[in-house]
Amino acid sequence: MLNKRNSTKKEETKPKKLRKKKKFSFRNIKILGIRSGLDMPFLILVLLLVTIGLVMMFSASYPNAFYLHKGDSFFFIRNQAIFAVMGLALMLFVSKLNYQSLKILHLPILITSFVLLLLVLAMPPINGVRRWIQLGPIGFQPSEITKFAIILSFATLIDKNFEKMGTFRYGILPFLIIFLPSAALLAMEPHISCTVIVILLAAIMLFIGGIKLRWFAYVLAPMMGFLGYLVLFTNKLTYANSRIAGWLNPFDSASGVDTWQTRQGLYAIGSGGIFGLGLGNSRQKYLYIPEPQNDFIFAVVCEELGFIGAVIILILFATLIWRGIVISIRAKDRFGTLLGLGLTMQVGMQMILNIAVVTNTIPNTGISLPFFSYGGTSLLMLLVQMGIILSISRGSNIEKT
Amino acid sequence: MVKGSTIRMRKRILLVALITIFLFFSILIIRLVNLQIINAYNLFKMANSQQLASTKLTAKRGIIYDRNMVPLAQSATAWDVVLEPNYIKNDETRENIAQGLSEILDIPKEEIAEASKKKSSYKIIKKKIDSNLKDKIIELKTQKNITSGVRLIENYKRYFPMGTLASTVLGFTGDDDQGLSGIESQYDKILKGESGKLVSAKNAIGTDMPYDYEHMIPPKDGQNLVLTLDSNIQRIAERCLKQAVEKNDARNGGFFIAMNPKTGEILALAVEKNFNPNSPFELCDQDKKILEDTPEEEKQKKKSELLSKQWSNSVVNSLYYPGSVFKMIVAAMGLELGLVDENSNFNCSGGIKISDRIIRCHKRIGHGPLNFVEALCKSCNPAFISLGQKIGSKNFFDFYKAFGFHEKSGIDLPGETKDVFFSEEGNMKPINLAVASIGQNFGITPIQMATAACAIANGGELVTPYIVKEIQDKDGKVIKSFSKKSRRQIISRETSKRVSDMMAQNTISGGAKNANVPGFGICGKTGTSEKKEKLLVPGQKDYMSSYCGFAPLNDPQILILMGIDTPKGGQYYGSVVAAPPCGLAFSEILPYMGIKPQYNEEESKKYGIEIPNLVGEKINDAKIEIINLELKPVIMGKGEQVLSQVPSPGSLIARGGTVILYTEDNAENDKVKVPNFIGMKKSEAVKIAESAGLNILASGSSNEEDKIKTQSPSGSEYVPKGTTINVVIHNDNLRD
Repeated sequence: MLNKRNSTKKEETKPKKLRKKKKFSFRNIKILGIRSGLDMPFLILVLLLVTIGLVMMFSASYPNAFYLHKGDSFFFIRNQAIFAVMGLALMLFVSKLNYQSLKILHLPILITSFVLLLLVLAMPPINGVRRWIQLGPIGFQPSEITKFAIILSFATLIDKNFEKMGTFRYGILPFLIIFLPSAALLAMEPHISCTVIVILLAAIMLFIGGIKLRWFAYVLAPMMGFLGYLVLFTNKLTYANSRIAGWLNPFDSASGVDTWQTRQGLYAIGSGGIFGLGLGNSRQKYLYIPEPQNDFIFAVVCEELGFIGAVIILILFATLIWRGIVISIRAKDRFGTLLGLGLTMQVGMQMILNIAVVTNTIPNTGISLPFFSYGGTSLLMLLVQMGIILSISRGSNIEKT
Repeated sequence: MVKGSTIRMRKRILLVALITIFLFFSILIIRLVNLQIINAYNLFKMANSQQLASTKLTAKRGIIYDRNMVPLAQSATAWDVVLEPNYIKNDETRENIAQGLSEILDIPKEEIAEASKKKSSYKIIKKKIDSNLKDKIIELKTQKNITSGVRLIENYKRYFPMGTLASTVLGFTGDDDQGLSGIESQYDKILKGESGKLVSAKNAIGTDMPYDYEHMIPPKDGQNLVLTLDSNIQRIAERCLKQAVEKNDARNGGFFIAMNPKTGEILALAVEKNFNPNSPFELCDQDKKILEDTPEEEKQKKKSELLSKQWSNSVVNSLYYPGSVFKMIVAAMGLELGLVDENSNFNCSGGIKISDRIIRCHKRIGHGPLNFVEALCKSCNPAFISLGQKIGSKNFFDFYKAFGFHEKSGIDLPGETKDVFFSEEGNMKPINLAVASIGQNFGITPIQMATAACAIANGGELVTPYIVKEIQDKDGKVIKSFSKKSRRQIISRETSKRVSDMMAQNTISGGAKNANVPGFGICGKTGTSEKKEKLLVPGQKDYMSSYCGFAPLNDPQILILMGIDTPKGGQYYGSVVAAPPCGLAFSEILPYMGIKPQYNEEESKKYGIEIPNLVGEKINDAKIEIINLELKPVIMGKGEQVLSQVPSPGSLIARGGTVILYTEDNAENDKVKVPNFIGMKKSEAVKIAESAGLNILASGSSNEEDKIKTQSPSGSEYVPKGTTINVVIHNDNLRD
């Protein structure tokens, strides 16, 4: 096996270099991945999560739809289902494409991301934040594009500069140029949770890309110092401060700190117990948890499916991440590894942070749960990204089923 | 190292993967274990408390029956009007509800409108409305198309079918169906049952969740009580007491106890004034007037004072001086200790000197020489004081305790008071002992006195008085039954019999003769005590006139104790104020209890003919039978057979009385007006009765010159011909 792989690698070396030279000749770009079938376990996991996600989204959104949309209980699920179908179709389509062609798109996508991030700051604020761009009936968050743009451009650049990742000029500087403005623009929306995810993703990718570990110390130390200064000596982060106060004491918080959402989420999780109240039987979704179809959907899942159901869903996510990592490691090229890993870790980070928020393990911040939370465009985006991972899986050296 | 991942990259990927999957996932799972297993119950409870709105379902309170299963207190369905502001859809409905309910329930409209704006899903605006108002509200809801916002919730209203009968004993219930006095309070736990709950899930804005989530814990109905009380005896008791109180202008009312001396069962317990338990917070007219005269700022206080007085049961809640009635106890002490016998000689000079003080006899010139029986019959104070001195304070106190005066009687009624004696240890000064020997200056409750008297009657055994005979479940199955509880033997059977004989003699020839009902072997003792506290006018004497007696002598079935508090009608001696109504009560209660009179030779000449059952017999046979009994037959109608008769079979009739035999169906229509016999001599009354076709049965004094003081049925009532009129003849010159 090892021999076989080593030999394949050697064979592959030459065409890659060739292709690189003819970078801008469209005739030579393989649009369709032609190697072999996609990774069935990953596909099945995605389909399972989409299905369970839809069912739970319907259950969680039902009361809000009923009360707030004139008795139309199907209001949310109808939208979500349409996007899920479109997303799955797109996913399968994308999986047929050659992911390597994305390399040349990294710059346009990055520029689009910046433009949109600037544009969104000009949008009217909703609840004090500017996160959404509305195009007719469809709204989307530029941050979704940004996350993808960071992953894609980092993967491209790390792949390109791989041998020189130890240096500041090639290993740090280009990434800072991409990363810092993105993070700053996200923080201006403000969208702290997304900023955190972007920071984490960037760090993970650079780490895997092989930069010297001391750079983490160089960046982290002053950052922590500054954050500590803000928290301790200024009240600029009162927004975050009150969230921390609410986090430490959700049931008996100081006045002015609104812990309603956290509290109601915890009630729901606790009410579920080991076996849950049964599918559709959540009581906390009846206007107690604000927007139970969004960030706090996992609380409803816990209430209805209990500890057992929640753990099964966690295991599905873990398996999906594991499989994504396996696909990435075995990708046919370094770019595939980096891209696949970035995308997998994005899902993983988001899911872990979301559940950590819902269970009050970390302070409350708005992060949606992949596959579950309501939001058509983000589901669409997520499934396209899953399609890319599937595309990577076509070329990877793992057993196909 | 160009394609795919390098070794270092793989290592780093593996590190990230392991951290993500194992570390982070473990943290999350530990967190879920904490929330969903360890703290699940607490969180579930907190969630429930905000989600579930529970409605109380009232349990039906148990029924209180008398000993013959006649219901005295029961609960009927009533409705609570509940406002559900969260369910009110719009302002028009709100307006309709406020307007409509305000008209039906007589509540200011603004009040309802205000309540309907509160953020709540449950607000009772009127409790326990009857079915009439309930129908009106249902009509309002249909007319104005009010589908939600107002609900009628079933509740129960306590209802006392006999009205004021035995109200002091029964007590009453409050708004929440809780017993507030009397049996209702004493047995509240048993009567009230357990209320249930209707739990329904509410969403965060307080309306129902759209799916069906309702959980009902049905209420457990209360258990029923069967009392030892007999409502017929109670009715007689209340009537006799009321008459006596009114006739004698008793300012502080009075009390009446009837009990079975052998078992301690309370057969009747009346207090004047009683109240209507259906509206316990309403004062009687007399008290209303008092309240009106009270200055405004003290009205509230005065009203609660008057109310608590109205509800109190003086038989167990307050103390009185037993007076000469207590002499039966002192007599028993003397006989039991062998210090005296029936023939012991006493001499009364009209007073007795005890350590520098002279205590007078009620007969100022003195009774002269007299034996012990005569001393009791004449209720001679010096005789009993000298007996008391012989008994001595230690023995006296020992017996006082033995007779149960120094402990609560244990009756199952709330608020029993403890006695007040000269000293807790019983070491009295001679003057204390002297007045105690005639029942003065120490306070006991009437129920203690009655219970002690029961021991005199029943052979010397002190029993615990009780008023609840059985606890039954709602289907009538007996859950617990109560019977005689013996406390101790105090005096010998012989002493008991000897005191009873003396009291029987007292009824025939002594101070208690106004309570005599010939043939029934009535034993009694009267008493008149001087009150020392709460005098109407300071400096003037107030009295408590009482009578205690039992019958029949040989096998006592009933004991009566009556007290008339502060009579201001001119007479105040117990023998004149209390004995006659008790005689009347005996004359009605004893036959009702199925006790047959046993006349001696002399008596049977005057009274005592038991009427045989003649119904169904041929008219001529019946006629002959009646004539043979020295009675007069009167035949009504032209039939050949006797269809009915007045007086009814088994009843007693005086010699020469009239028996009406009906041979046709219209028997009951043949009624006559009862003449007024009061103030007549017995011989005059008999003549008038005869001409009216009625019979006379007299009780009380047998002295030909004495006059009739009470009668039953009263004058101007209409009764069937042949009915026996009970009259009581008084001797107003009795002093005791």
